[in-house]
Amino acid sequence: MLSAQNLQLTFNPDTPIETRALRGMSLDIPEGQFVTVIGSNGAGKSTFLNAVSGDQEIDAGTIIIDGRDVTKQTVWKRAKLVARVFQDPMAGTCEDLTIEENLALASNRGQRRGLKAAVQKAMRDEFKARLETLGLGLENRLTDRIGLLSGGQRQAVSLLMAAMRPSRILLLDEHTAALDPRTADFVLKLTARIVEENRLTTMMVTHSMRQALDVGDRTVMLHQGQVVLDVSGDERKGMDVTDLLHMFEKVRGEKISDDALLLS
Amino acid sequence: MKSKSVTKVLAGLFTSLSLCAAASVSAQTVSVSSIVEHPALDSIRDGVKHSLEQAGYTEAKGLKWQFQTAQGNTAIATQIARKFVGDNSDVIVAISTPSAQAVLAASKSVPIVYSAVTDPVAAQLVSSFEASGTNVTGVSDALALEKQLELIKKIVPDAKNVGMVYNPGEANSAVVVERMKALLSAEDMSLVEATAARTVDVGAAARSLVGKVDVIYTNTDNNVVSAYESLVKVGNDANIPLIASDTDSVGRGAIAALGVNYYDLGLQTGEIVVRILKGEKPGDIASQTSNKLELFVNPGAAEKQGVELDPEFLQSATKIVE
Amino acid sequence: MSEYSIYGALELGLIFALVALGVLISFRVLRFPDLTVDGSFPLGGACAAVLISNGVDPFTATIVATGAGAIAGMITGLLNVKLKIMDLLASILMMIALYSINLRIMGRPNVPLISEPTVFSILQPASIPDFKAKVLIMLVIVVLVKLALDWFFSTEKGLAMRATGSNPRMARSQGVATGAMVLLGMAISNALVAMAGALYAQSNGNADISMGIGTIVIGLAAVIVGESILPSRRLVVATLAVIIGAVLYRFFIAMALNADFIGLGAQDLNLVTAILVTVALVIPIIKRKLKPKKNRV
Repeated sequence: MLSAQNLQLTFNPDTPIETRALRGMSLDIPEGQFVTVIGSNGAGKSTFLNAVSGDQEIDAGTIIIDGRDVTKQTVWKRAKLVARVFQDPMAGTCEDLTIEENLALASNRGQRRGLKAAVQKAMRDEFKARLETLGLGLENRLTDRIGLLSGGQRQAVSLLMAAMRPSRILLLDEHTAALDPRTADFVLKLTARIVEENRLTTMMVTHSMRQALDVGDRTVMLHQGQVVLDVSGDERKGMDVTDLLHMFEKVRGEKISDDALLLS
Repeated sequence: MKSKSVTKVLAGLFTSLSLCAAASVSAQTVSVSSIVEHPALDSIRDGVKHSLEQAGYTEAKGLKWQFQTAQGNTAIATQIARKFVGDNSDVIVAISTPSAQAVLAASKSVPIVYSAVTDPVAAQLVSSFEASGTNVTGVSDALALEKQLELIKKIVPDAKNVGMVYNPGEANSAVVVERMKALLSAEDMSLVEATAARTVDVGAAARSLVGKVDVIYTNTDNNVVSAYESLVKVGNDANIPLIASDTDSVGRGAIAALGVNYYDLGLQTGEIVVRILKGEKPGDIASQTSNKLELFVNPGAAEKQGVELDPEFLQSATKIVE
Repeated sequence: MSEYSIYGALELGLIFALVALGVLISFRVLRFPDLTVDGSFPLGGACAAVLISNGVDPFTATIVATGAGAIAGMITGLLNVKLKIMDLLASILMMIALYSINLRIMGRPNVPLISEPTVFSILQPASIPDFKAKVLIMLVIVVLVKLALDWFFSTEKGLAMRATGSNPRMARSQGVATGAMVLLGMAISNALVAMAGALYAQSNGNADISMGIGTIVIGLAAVIVGESILPSRRLVVATLAVIIGAVLYRFFIAMALNADFIGLGAQDLNLVTAILVTVALVIPIIKRKLKPKKNRV
């Protein structure tokens, strides 16, 4: 479903702060698979995700989604195929619009928007039903501004929004990183449920090795703009964080020194 | 006996009637609307008031006088016009084209006397300089440009290229520029224009004319008059003779001006107001142009700008300015 | 205040209400500070005046003027979206360019319309005096425009435009072509302002090159005064609020013109207007401060 081929990207080339963010990054994700992506800071995981969504232009390489070459497509053209949940709950929703307006926006992702009423009765009923599944009581607050919700509530709504229309790939960009542990847990469980119910092809970038192994079918570790580890199936089932670390040392011949990665 | 008391009663009646008449004659409202506060425009207002006083119309005798300026904003000019109409003004004096147009748009019946409008026909205030038959009359400050050209030729006999600095956004100036262009080309001379949309642009506009013109002539453009000193600096530094259209500018550094004295224009306007207050219809009064031109000359400026003045010419001046 | 003054304030207030609605779209909905309006207001007046004095019927002239405003807004939008020029700067560039363009269109700084037919003279019913009829006509126009805007912003496209202004990154991730939305919004906004200019010129008997100066200030004053009197996030209320703000602003000026009894003169007009506007902005704040104290008791 998603095929990233040999992506190259260098920030600030030919300057003292030149950074080679992606160095031949390649990854294939078949339909229906839930992949978690980890790596230390600067490994290129957010850059990679932004390249797939279209927010970040790349220097070389190809990105193919559902057989279509989207490498040169703008974010909004790609939105038909790509659904995304941002790390910052503020960034993923329109503060000034109401819950139902945000949902209405999402229900038209990738479609031509015309002059029909944005929010109609039938849609409201559908929104209510979907929001009920969250168990947060939001179905009674359709006309509240979404800015009044907490971060966790907004991420939950963002997940619902991402699943409202079929997508070829769902991108989750460290979407629990800005939440407290209890809420993060809630959102993660919600993620797993939604992905399974809708059979979404998903790529979740996370900073937590624990999280990376707990959800999904496959875990990929990035380092210095390349994939260095790729575990799935039985091999992955029994793994825990230390196993992952040893594997990394074997492959790269060096220890991971990123505290945040080690300790989370 | 009877005739004496009858005479007394009649006399008393007559006296009180004439007192009433005198009182009601003075208890009238004259409202003056100007587009902006400006020495020339303000002089007109003062001239109008003086004319009224001379004819016996004073606030002490019951004249209601009000003055408002639109701060350069035509929407405010509109609200001023509405207010004046709503205040049952007997005469509205409108100083400048936009103010006059706003007043006329507000009322086709209240007597309107315009002043300081260079081309009232083009402004559609009146259809010609004859008596209009409408509620509009007034005094135009248009100058006979032939006389202006004569003045230019007297001071700079070999002039071929005449420069003009003006605000392209001012109706009066645009009119003068067009007419000057036509007049000069008929004399085998040419007009070089330099625009100054704001007063701060006047100096730069003048500098752009250096080397291209033999003389700089200016009309009563609001921007130019406000910033005349910038023009004088260029004229003195580059030895370009300056000829103005308003007499005040001569004291500020122009060599000469054959111009309208705006206070006199105000007096002339005021006379028309008095006629209307006394009962004449504005539609029966033909529009006028200024009936008094004055020639001011500044020999010191002439020296600074490299021009020698003919002593006969100096003699003909209304006033020599130092 | 005389009846004439009141109707005059209403008439101008309703004309500038269209400007306020345009500024609401650019400044509040799109978060695009747009100074183009200082140029598109006279653009509308210039187009209407020139067409009418050349014999075109006033309704057609007004429509063409509105279209011209839309084009001006789109050019500002293109400067920003395609050439990546900062929004405020793009609008200033367009405003400056329009000064020359407007002079060219008019051919001279002042085009009178006093003896020409206008939409007002044509729609004038015989039974009502003209200064009242103009208010009625403007009221109908403003109500129709408001309803049209309220409807538009309730549609899918309208929602997409609101999202563009509120959170363009999120809007793009939802498939909204934000660039196109900015162009559309700027077009609608400046079309309204140009329409106001065309109506203003016809109502006041002339189009003058200086008529646009300060339009953005009037528009913003109307938006801000309106919002402070009728605060709400709902667009339907916001459109009403700015209309009220625009009318109130003209009433403040009318009041200031009548302030000579306090000993204030003609030159104090701007100061008095500023004071009245400040009072209007401060009253809601004072009201809010007084409320909680009541609850505590």
